[in-house]
Amino acid sequence: MEKSKGRIAGFFSAIGRFFRGFGEAAAKGDLFVKLSLIWMGAGYFRRKQYVKSVLITIFEALVIVFSVVCSSQYVPKFGSLGTVKRESVFNPVTMKNEINDYDNSFMILLFSVVSFVIWAVFLVVWISNVKRAYELQKMAENGEHINTFMEDLNTYRNENFYKTLLALPVAGVVVFTVVPLLILILVAFTNYDQQHMPPTELFTWVGLDNFINLFGGGGLTITFAYSFVRVLVWTLVWAVFATLTNYIGGILLSLLINHKRVKLKKMWRTLFMVTIAVPQFVSLLLVRNFFADGGIVNTICANIGLTGFLRDVGLISTSYIPFLSSPGWAHVMIILINIWVGVPYQMLIATGVLMNLPTDQVESARIDGASPVQIFRHITMPYVLFITGPALVTDFVKNINNFNVIYLLTQDVYTTTNQALANSQAKEVDLLVTWLFRLTQEYYNYKMAAVIGIVVFVLCAAFTLVAFGRMTRGDREEVYR
Amino acid sequence: MKIKVSDILRHVLLAFLAVVWLVPIVWLLATSFSKYTGMNTSTFFPKEWAVDGYKNLLLGSDTVAQFPQWFWNTFIIACFTCIISTAFVLMVAYATSCMRFRGRKTLMNIAVIINLFPGVLAMIAVYFILKSIGLTNSHLGLIFVYSASSGLGYLIAKGFLDTVPASLREAAYLDGASEAKVFFKVVMPMSKPIIVYTVISSFLVPWMDFVYAKMMLNSGVASQWTVAIGLYNMLEKSLINTYFTQFCAGGVIVSIPISILFIIMQKFYVEGVTGGAVKG
Repeated sequence: MEKSKGRIAGFFSAIGRFFRGFGEAAAKGDLFVKLSLIWMGAGYFRRKQYVKSVLITIFEALVIVFSVVCSSQYVPKFGSLGTVKRESVFNPVTMKNEINDYDNSFMILLFSVVSFVIWAVFLVVWISNVKRAYELQKMAENGEHINTFMEDLNTYRNENFYKTLLALPVAGVVVFTVVPLLILILVAFTNYDQQHMPPTELFTWVGLDNFINLFGGGGLTITFAYSFVRVLVWTLVWAVFATLTNYIGGILLSLLINHKRVKLKKMWRTLFMVTIAVPQFVSLLLVRNFFADGGIVNTICANIGLTGFLRDVGLISTSYIPFLSSPGWAHVMIILINIWVGVPYQMLIATGVLMNLPTDQVESARIDGASPVQIFRHITMPYVLFITGPALVTDFVKNINNFNVIYLLTQDVYTTTNQALANSQAKEVDLLVTWLFRLTQEYYNYKMAAVIGIVVFVLCAAFTLVAFGRMTRGDREEVYR
Repeated sequence: MKIKVSDILRHVLLAFLAVVWLVPIVWLLATSFSKYTGMNTSTFFPKEWAVDGYKNLLLGSDTVAQFPQWFWNTFIIACFTCIISTAFVLMVAYATSCMRFRGRKTLMNIAVIINLFPGVLAMIAVYFILKSIGLTNSHLGLIFVYSASSGLGYLIAKGFLDTVPASLREAAYLDGASEAKVFFKVVMPMSKPIIVYTVISSFLVPWMDFVYAKMMLNSGVASQWTVAIGLYNMLEKSLINTYFTQFCAGGVIVSIPISILFIIMQKFYVEGVTGGAVKG
């Protein structure tokens, strides 16, 4: 706790320093430093860093042009997300129906967010620039050497090399992950759905209504709250079972294969790895047809009389076994099929870990007369847990978001008979992410999808924080330095 | 050596599990050689054997099945994704592992937080952004989707670079090498395992991915699809009886390059997942 407090305080004091430095520069700087508040190239120009001066001026000009040409059209409407609906108006001059100058809510949202991000970046660059100009002034006053442009460029191969390296990847993440996430988070506070689809319709801010709907307020949409609880429970059950079965299964299988009296270890390992080689979408779609209502497994089960037996017992009421098409059966089958998909991966990892098991400890334990079970419990298992613990946490988070297994196994096969679920476009076997995906792809219900996405994030974040807080995670970063 | 009962039991159990694991794969292989085009539901093995599935898939393309085109599309996308992703991952890994600068920890924490958002969520907005600049239903757009944010997956490579002794780099600095030179001439040559791992795993992304491709390539024009979308489409209710054998054949063909790459990668895979902790 102490440490994290210090970190937060450090963060804020760093921000404080950043602005204090700016205030000092703006107050104590000479004419050109003050001028660089308006013309960003001024400071560099004064110190004869002409290329830099031109570059930063171009940057400033680009931001201004963007703000005038693009932002000014969209940002002022950000508060309402547009007021003019798209209509086709008869134009008496051309004698034709023409589309009016309408507002597109999504474009307003998109370009507003883009503008905000650009302005935030600009603000940071602008402040740093003034501070830099002040530094240059002080350096010139002290008669220090001021870098030429080539020397400046050279720093980007040396002490500033990290900037060179990080520039493109960070830009990619900002454009393709951060901005989209910001937009979707904002959508959670609007009424963007099938009735409010740009460009023909407008959508607008609705505050926390969507969250209230999801968590059970607002009488009419009570089904949404019901579905949310059902889907959430299944998501958690699935994540726990999928993670644990694969983990334990993988370790047991690798223990079995790597037992010293087992012959042909390599062959066994390869046999299990064949399933990894087939891409998941192929193997899952295949298995889905394998277990289809009229599929091959059902035929075999009917032939050996299993179907009849189950019907007599009362487990099924149909003439086939609904492996993937009725609740209960489907839930169990999905977890079983996931074992089939995931255990070989875990077996590989566990094998790698077990092969590096410190043998001296095991040997000395054996000499002291420990039984194999005791060795496993007190030496092997703690070691494996220590190494694979962090991976276990990430696996759990991955399983909460495990789209492929659920979607590929149940899409087009499973139809829910539960009216309340159907009303909110959910199924018994849906995870939060597959529900989210189908809400957007099939029902264009972006507002609820965004809310669910935020819930998934909170879930994953909470779990990760708790898990990593408990696990004393060996930070190896500095070990080899 | 005496043969014990427990040994026999162990092998029997292994054999049983292996059979369970292989049954669907054998079914895939067997069905791909079936003469009947639809799904065989009455017997495990096809009644008549033929290579028609492969022949139709590779030579005869129609509006539904254009496998050679899909394979080519996926291959091109995979190549570009692989180059960009590998570069990004290694760059971020080097910067965070080998260099010390202000804001490094903050940057890494932000990356962890971003990774906790479901990827599908961001993709929904990415779709609209790409649509507004006309890049949906294009391979360029899909390459962006696969590779632009790949820098976030730097942790495994960073874990590897953390184990490269700092003294090596320091020796190079003393000899007057620039940071860039250290990156290219000292650290990269020592990082072959992690480069191979990154190259192969990013190359495999477009072959394995289904969701993003389905979101981005939604025009219904078969010639634009990747293998995943194409094969998925073959199993539509109205098509499954004509194309199931071709689907199986396609599955077998895709699996061949993937298994070769996976066998190469296998060694590094384990090290990667356990974060380089596994050292003998």
